Amino acid sequence: MRLCCRIPLAGFDLDIDAAFDARVTAVFGPSGSGKTTLLDAIAGLRPIAAGEIECGGRMLFSSARKIALPPRRRHIGYVPQEGALFPHLSVRRNILFGAGRDARSPAASAIHLDHVCEVLEIAPLLARPVSEISGGEAQRVALARAILSRPQLLLLDEPLAALDVGLKEKILPYLARVRDEFAIPMIYVTHNVTEVLALADWVLLLRAGRLVAQGPPQAALTSARAVRDAPEEQLENVFAATLIDSDRRAGRSRALLPGGAELFVPFTAGAPQSALHVGVSADDILLATRRPEGISAGNILPGMVTAIDLVDDQALVRVEAGGEFCARVTAGAVSRLSLAAGAPVFLVIKTRSFRLL
Amino acid sequence: MFFSFETWHITLFSISVGFASALLILPFGIALAWLFARKEWPLKSVVETIVLLPLVMPPVSTGLILLKIFGRRSPLGQWLYERGIEIVFNWKGVLIAMSVMSFPLLVRSVRTSFAEVNPRLEQIAATLGASPLRIFFVVTIPLAYKGIVAGALLAFSRALGEFGATILLAGNIPGRTQTLSLAIYNYVQLGKDAEAYTLLGITVALAFLFVWTSEWLLRAGRKL
Repeated sequence: MRLCCRIPLAGFDLDIDAAFDARVTAVFGPSGSGKTTLLDAIAGLRPIAAGEIECGGRMLFSSARKIALPPRRRHIGYVPQEGALFPHLSVRRNILFGAGRDARSPAASAIHLDHVCEVLEIAPLLARPVSEISGGEAQRVALARAILSRPQLLLLDEPLAALDVGLKEKILPYLARVRDEFAIPMIYVTHNVTEVLALADWVLLLRAGRLVAQGPPQAALTSARAVRDAPEEQLENVFAATLIDSDRRAGRSRALLPGGAELFVPFTAGAPQSALHVGVSADDILLATRRPEGISAGNILPGMVTAIDLVDDQALVRVEAGGEFCARVTAGAVSRLSLAAGAPVFLVIKTRSFRLL
Repeated sequence: MFFSFETWHITLFSISVGFASALLILPFGIALAWLFARKEWPLKSVVETIVLLPLVMPPVSTGLILLKIFGRRSPLGQWLYERGIEIVFNWKGVLIAMSVMSFPLLVRSVRTSFAEVNPRLEQIAATLGASPLRIFFVVTIPLAYKGIVAGALLAFSRALGEFGATILLAGNIPGRTQTLSLAIYNYVQLGKDAEAYTLLGITVALAFLFVWTSEWLLRAGRKL
């Protein structure tokens, strides 16, 4: 996928040049940074002043070669923020709206109504009118509708933003299942860090229409450039982990990181061996040069500093401790502890500082 | 059967020509309303103004313009006459006068209902592979149909009430071009008050029915 486009907007120009090849690419940035505009441009719903958009070897748009495929020929499934279900059609007719396209193509045989409904758990809704389903259900129906049009690319515009927190936790796993079940690359727009880290394997970091950083999520979001650009923004560490066991009375569970670290995290009722995502803010990690004793924090992880990025008066200390952690401390703390790359260090993290995503 | 043959004839003639005029203008009205609501094109505001003119101009003036356009001495009237079609002073004149006078009402109502259809839905339909024609008939029209029906009803009732343009283009010929409005005027002039009041009652009943239905549809449409 190659994206190179310039789109004049009211306050600024959206100017992007990026090439990536990922299952899920997150476009991350605060509201008003041009994320939805970018999706509209990819889908062909908005004029582009100049540039090229190429997807899977197909040129969708090229100002130089005067190519501009209309939206219906781009084979892009779009799930807009508000879902945009057709209010006059039943759930079933909504889902099948785009299903006639390419019914005989090889991709079509891989995607069936029954399968999609099963993955998204919407089979019981099929006969209902759209007005009688909840917000979270509507998002899943919109997702199913886009998938069944057998697109070569899925665009998701903050699918969780319109939902309250309780529902969010329920829809995130569906998105992960869609990613794993249907081999459709996704571009996912969000201003929520945890969503990015839980789903994406590539991140485009957008601010005021400019591409600030891109790369694997953890690296892009904690990059010095990203921090310099928005020093007040939360810095999050998120890990895919496996649940080892849980102790309800102690209020904690144990989780294993792929890199070998064992973490105490807040209690979760999940089954042993189940997958989960845990997150901790870079500001909630303490660094110690000696192993602390008599301290309430549940996690004391020995590790080694791999790099230190100084951004003004902040220091981003990257530590390998059975997982790649990033701790944000003051520049003063780095000099006081004489931290440098290669130095041994202990990470101190309260159990309750971890969040389950 | 309560009414005289004459009353029945006038009523049915008015209703059928009014209905025909509503049907005639419906496709044009829908197309134009869509162009107004969804597209930008040069001179759009000029065309919009021209379409709305019959709404504000004295109907007699509109009738005079129509008479000049369709009269036998005009190029168009001449051309039609040579093909055996005569507009002036027969039911076709009534039809044209009604259509022109009610067209702006239809366009305005339909335009509003098109504007109320979320364009995002049409865009998403396009990304799902739908052709512009399919989007129009499967998404836009069904979502706007209440406004379209209400507009057509409004146009129909306006057509029934037409007087000024009709009398100039089609005349007031009993049994040939006499509509409800023209007949009421005629009866009052002749002092036939009883006949006038009968027709008056019919017009009030019809108008009430149409306006009430169209308002009800518009309200229901907004809830959707």
